[in-house]
Amino acid sequence: MSRKPAWLLLPGLVFILLGFAIPSVAMLLAPPGVSTGDVFVRFGEMLTDPYSLAIIGRTLGLGLITTVTCLVLGFPIAYLLARSTSRFAGMWLALAIFPLLLSNVVRTFGWIVLLGSQGAIGQLITGLGLAPEAPQLLYTELAVVLGMTQLFLPLAIISCYSAVAQVDPGLDDAARGLGASRTRTLWTIVLPLSAPGLVVATTLVFAGAATAYTTPYLLGGSSQRMLATELYNYSNVTVDWASASATALIMTLLVFLVSGLSSLLSRGKSVQS
Amino acid sequence: MSLTKPTNARPVLGTLAVLGYIIMIVPILFVVSTAFSAGRTVSFPPKGFTLDWFGAALGNNSFMSALGSSMQLALIATALALAIGVPATIAMHRGKIPGKSIVQGLFLSPLVVPELVVGLALYQQIMVVLGLGNSVALLIGHTAILLPYAVRVTGASLALADPAIEEAARGLGASPLRAFFTVTLPLLRPGIFSAALLSFVTSFNNVPLSLLLQDRQFRTLPVTMLDYIQQNYDPTIAAMSTLLLAATVVVAIIAERTVGFAKIFGGINK
Repeated sequence: MSRKPAWLLLPGLVFILLGFAIPSVAMLLAPPGVSTGDVFVRFGEMLTDPYSLAIIGRTLGLGLITTVTCLVLGFPIAYLLARSTSRFAGMWLALAIFPLLLSNVVRTFGWIVLLGSQGAIGQLITGLGLAPEAPQLLYTELAVVLGMTQLFLPLAIISCYSAVAQVDPGLDDAARGLGASRTRTLWTIVLPLSAPGLVVATTLVFAGAATAYTTPYLLGGSSQRMLATELYNYSNVTVDWASASATALIMTLLVFLVSGLSSLLSRGKSVQS
Repeated sequence: MSLTKPTNARPVLGTLAVLGYIIMIVPILFVVSTAFSAGRTVSFPPKGFTLDWFGAALGNNSFMSALGSSMQLALIATALALAIGVPATIAMHRGKIPGKSIVQGLFLSPLVVPELVVGLALYQQIMVVLGLGNSVALLIGHTAILLPYAVRVTGASLALADPAIEEAARGLGASPLRAFFTVTLPLLRPGIFSAALLSFVTSFNNVPLSLLLQDRQFRTLPVTMLDYIQQNYDPTIAAMSTLLLAATVVVAIIAERTVGFAKIFGGINK
């Protein structure tokens, strides 16, 4: 009765193919004025030349640090909110999700106000006499990690929250009743059972951090080049299509790699426990 | 103050949670305080109080024309993504389609590839190779990244709707079209509304696509603001940001009152 005709899919499929899939493949195989295969030659060069390797390393490193930070801060928020009986818990959850609706540019600009040479944190340090001059905070790794943590923490909270909410609180009580400490209950019961949520959080946060442009551009400056800022420079500034496409390939593979590894890791873990 | 009780009970978790909220919220508060500062540069503590920067932001032609462009783009891309995505979702959930999981995967594929990469592909292939304008490329790109949201969020509400209701309408003599418009569509309304809201906000705030597909004639607000921050150090940008924050709060309240926050964002990571 309710057999819907497949032609309803047609506009969508045509759109995805013409507007996304074909241009993406063409970007790798045939950038303008670049002969086929050159993108892969450039890809190979980038994986061996120290300049590009440093940028790949920084993207991977800062991306992983951000991911771990978001998990360490996001899981406790998700856990406390999921287990809270307070009538304000919903409000706190909304406050954690709200930043996702707000422009990344606006959120990142806040760190310039805080970390800039005349910013609040520098003024606080000199005001308290901790240092004669405000330390350089902006355009450092720290600034980039803080900025990316702010942007992607809500994603970690949502993913962990839906996972923790599915863990029956009765299991916590059972473990506690059998004599486990609260810390042990958290590590041996709640955390392993929320592993799927942690994997989703890792994938989303790392994918965001490894491809973020706004943060390294505004908070990292020229000293903290990452793959995203390089891709933009190759594409829109120096117009080096082979390098731009190769950078895009590296960036995509990096995201796939970390997402694949994190789900493998969690599968190994859940077998153990 | 729900966190006070668990904080007392669980010092480590509570401290980490408070730190998390500080990192998410405090920078936004500093943006707001800067917007009202009478100082000429972005500095702390704020010097005096003024509303002048709001005047400067609203009187800034490049901000205002970019705001118009961003609204237009977000509205059209959202409408297009829904017009393409909703029928496809219905076909995927209710129809018998060969290779259903492949089709579903294709519709979600723009979510897997970094947006910056999608932007590069469209810039190269649509603007440079085909020579089309950046507004066309932007519309294609934004619609492509919104499609997964449209398919997922409406799909989630379609999965909850019982197909038997629609069959009952048909059994009672309604034509397929009438059954769709009087039964299925109303059931889908919350899903479509959530998808529209999420799509609009996603498109409006998008940086990566708009960055790579920029052109002097059609510029979006986030890219204009990025450029402004790089070239100026006055609180105009803080005032513009505060206005966006106020608008976002309004959107959030509408979302919470109509379908609920958690439901809208539940669709993101399933």
